[in-house]
Amino acid sequence: MAALTTAEWLQRLRRSAKPESRGRVRILPRSIYILPTRQGVLLALLLVLMLAGSINYGSNLGHLMTFLLGGVWLVTILHTWRNLLGLSIQPGEAASVFAGQTADFTLRVVNNGGSSRYGIALGSKKQHGGSVDIPGNAGSELHIPVKTQRRGILPIPEITIQTTFPFGLFRAWSYARLDLSCLVYPKPAERGEPPTLAIYNHSDSGDRGVGADDFIGLRSYRLGDSPRQIDWKAHARERGLLSKQFGGDRSEQVSLDWELLQGYETEERLSLLCRFILQAEEREQSYSLRMPQEKIPTGSGPLHQQRCLSLLARHGHDDETTG
Amino acid sequence: MKQPVDFTVTPTFMTKLSLMMGLALLPHVANIPANISLYLLLLLTWRIAGLYWTRLQPGRWMLLAATLISILIVYSQYQTLLGRDAGVALLGMMLTLKVNEITKRRDIYVSVFISYFVIITQFLFSQSVLLTVYLVAVVIGLTSLLMEINRVTPPRKPYLPVVSTFKITLQALPIALVLFIIFPRITQPLWNFSSEASARTGLDDRVTPGAISELIESSEVAFRVQFMQQPPPKQQRYWRGLVMWDTDGYSWFTDEKQMFRRETIQLMMIDNPIKYEIFLEPHDEEWLFALDLPLEAPPRSRLTQDFQLLYNEPVTKPINYSLHSLTRYGMTQLTPGLRHRALQLGENVTQRQRDLVAQWRADSVDDRAIVDQALAFFNTEPFIYTLSPPRYPSNPVDEFLFEGMAGFCEHYATGFTQLMRIAGIPSRLVLGYQGGEYNALGDYFIIRQYHAHAWSEVWLEGRGWVRIDPTAAVAPERIEYPLRLAFGEQGAPAMFEIDGGGMVTSMMRHFTHALDSANIQWRRWVVGYSREHQFTLMRNFGLDSYTAMQWSLVTLGIVAIVLLLVGLNIVRQGRLLLSPAQRVYQQFCDKLSRIGISRRSYEGPMDFSRRAARNRPDLARQIMAIVDLYIKLRYASQESDGRQQRLFARQVRQFRPRQR
Repeated sequence: MAALTTAEWLQRLRRSAKPESRGRVRILPRSIYILPTRQGVLLALLLVLMLAGSINYGSNLGHLMTFLLGGVWLVTILHTWRNLLGLSIQPGEAASVFAGQTADFTLRVVNNGGSSRYGIALGSKKQHGGSVDIPGNAGSELHIPVKTQRRGILPIPEITIQTTFPFGLFRAWSYARLDLSCLVYPKPAERGEPPTLAIYNHSDSGDRGVGADDFIGLRSYRLGDSPRQIDWKAHARERGLLSKQFGGDRSEQVSLDWELLQGYETEERLSLLCRFILQAEEREQSYSLRMPQEKIPTGSGPLHQQRCLSLLARHGHDDETTG
Repeated sequence: MKQPVDFTVTPTFMTKLSLMMGLALLPHVANIPANISLYLLLLLTWRIAGLYWTRLQPGRWMLLAATLISILIVYSQYQTLLGRDAGVALLGMMLTLKVNEITKRRDIYVSVFISYFVIITQFLFSQSVLLTVYLVAVVIGLTSLLMEINRVTPPRKPYLPVVSTFKITLQALPIALVLFIIFPRITQPLWNFSSEASARTGLDDRVTPGAISELIESSEVAFRVQFMQQPPPKQQRYWRGLVMWDTDGYSWFTDEKQMFRRETIQLMMIDNPIKYEIFLEPHDEEWLFALDLPLEAPPRSRLTQDFQLLYNEPVTKPINYSLHSLTRYGMTQLTPGLRHRALQLGENVTQRQRDLVAQWRADSVDDRAIVDQALAFFNTEPFIYTLSPPRYPSNPVDEFLFEGMAGFCEHYATGFTQLMRIAGIPSRLVLGYQGGEYNALGDYFIIRQYHAHAWSEVWLEGRGWVRIDPTAAVAPERIEYPLRLAFGEQGAPAMFEIDGGGMVTSMMRHFTHALDSANIQWRRWVVGYSREHQFTLMRNFGLDSYTAMQWSLVTLGIVAIVLLLVGLNIVRQGRLLLSPAQRVYQQFCDKLSRIGISRRSYEGPMDFSRRAARNRPDLARQIMAIVDLYIKLRYASQESDGRQQRLFARQVRQFRPRQR
């Protein structure tokens, strides 16, 4: 039998509270760890010193006082442990962010017991998420900030819930793995214009947007264009297959296409597309997005943008989410 | 994330902390010199002022300077930095200086912990009930401050953390008591600072005129006595301490070389022995006190041939012991060695002393008659019993007997003993206490320093050593009383006692007696708890043959059990493991189980209810309704819904299935 490495052994020792119904995590007795804090150790040493003094001077009351403080020290273990016991953590939400920004996971700590809990702190390994006092039968929201690096689906890191109440002599903590993730959009590329083939249909008559009523020009036929859009007269004049473009109240329209960004790495492409989307939204242009698996038709507005950005963020993750 | 709760030091919190530390130091004012107390007060005031006027906050160099000055002050006061007294003063300075540099959370902990240490050092000076209660209160107050920095929101009411800390302390109490009872007591000190000077009042091992009249100024308790039966009358309540055989004519003492010679004395009991318990206050000397005459030696002490009790080491901490004594007795034989010693005289015997004794001898048939003559001499001659006798510088005994004729008990006792020796009657001087103040509330006697007394013992053939108290012979009208004098019962000497006739004094007396009465129980069960008590206790439980290892295991086991009980109590109070709905559901399952339908561990509420309904179709509707509600409560709603929960609880309450 191969001996376990320390890390493996520790991993085996580490029990995380796992979600039960509706993703809620409950802190049960077996998942709570407890150890003295630095102050707890200091007091223990002091108590030894006090006991030595009491023995030396034969002071019975010295013994008694030392044992009383020692008793408080011991009983505090139970109180600290209990302060965590039975709390539950409910996943809240995590607003999407661009890679490089800080994701903010909202969690709700619920105290179903009748007694108040004090100094309950949440955090991840790297980040302190704040602390709260929770009265009986109430809940409190806490935020875990996580610095993002890569786009994609970022699951919430393992959460530590801890407390040193009542006296700071012991720290009780528990690890919780929650069912909550944050969608991280690609980091927008620095600058750049969509390649020319991502067509701009300009009209001198101003901003008309996308529509179906006004004819605003022609562009080369693309697979999927409706036959009714094709300018058959131009075709007859042997000018090639052209599609008629119609505009609404805005005249600019952008088609963003994954395929048109050949020569870039996947992440670079996504970054560029992200930039184009933001730019288009900024310039109040309509845009459509075509990705290898999915196409989002032309549109604009925050919801449309969110949809497009999500598609970028999920690129390559689709197998996990849909499959 | 090291600290779950961020904490910033607020002036309010710091004021509380400084005040609690001041309270922790307060009782030491009685134990350390006034100038050091004042210095400590100055440091504390500086701190509190600095909270409100930041300009007053000391800088680092200022603190360093203050630290050095503090050490210098302590050193100049005690010429040392070690030992009990200097250590306490130094600790006080450390504490007050520490308060001045609190900026971080860690500093608060260090200050509170030093305060704990300061508190425990108070017990080196006093072990009274009141002090203990006070100090426990201060400990709770200090600890509650720690609770405040481990929570986020300030408490609703400022006293709530104190209440919670008090509850936790109560839970710790059983553990403390178990440890207190079974933790082995070590009788030898681990280290010793020999430089410590004793300042305790008490009898000295050398009697020079004026020695006892100094003691009479002190109302400090020497010891307390509780009789197991009817206490002896006052004229028999002589508390024997030291016996002095040797004199140089000026003072009386006991030659150390002679003390341990083995001599045996045959004792005849005339009366039944009296059983009693003594609670002795520390006096830093080796002797113990007993009712005249003790029959045996308590543990760790020995009984000498002249019936002194000597403890194995100086009595530096309060001790309790039980004894038997005889108030009437007879002795058969005085060895020649002792007789010689009991007749030895100093060089200052004058001719007029010899003449006086010769005249008595001529008028008497036996030794007993001479003793009576001597007592009559003190009674009829104009002897005055006074607290402030004149000084007798050149020949104390002679000047007292023939010139001054005014003295205190030690003058009478030494004068009488010397006269007896001149007459050839073996005699010796006994030092101890006489009488005592009865505390009716606790049914015991308090013997104070002003009960100190000296008397004589003479050897009368056929009777042995007989106690003679020449002071008692002084005529009552010649007793001066600067304080109110309590007249003794018949045959007892007059003693000075602080006694008031007024209502206020009588109430005061009542109050102090009530307090002292609590103190004696405290002394019996807590302060005086000793290795011997421990052994007795263990024998009673049949545990005396255990080894140290087994002992530690037993201790650990008991502490673990206590912790477990406290833990169960805590968990049940909060009822944490079950939600309210689960608890009610459990009651519902219990009810069904009583009619023979028990939920199996693997059965969820759905399966269980279906099975139960199949078994008892008559109850099916009720069962299904309850379980539906339970499932809704437990699995559907996000947080507990009060109305639904109440409905559920009512339905379960009303569900009363009967066995078919």
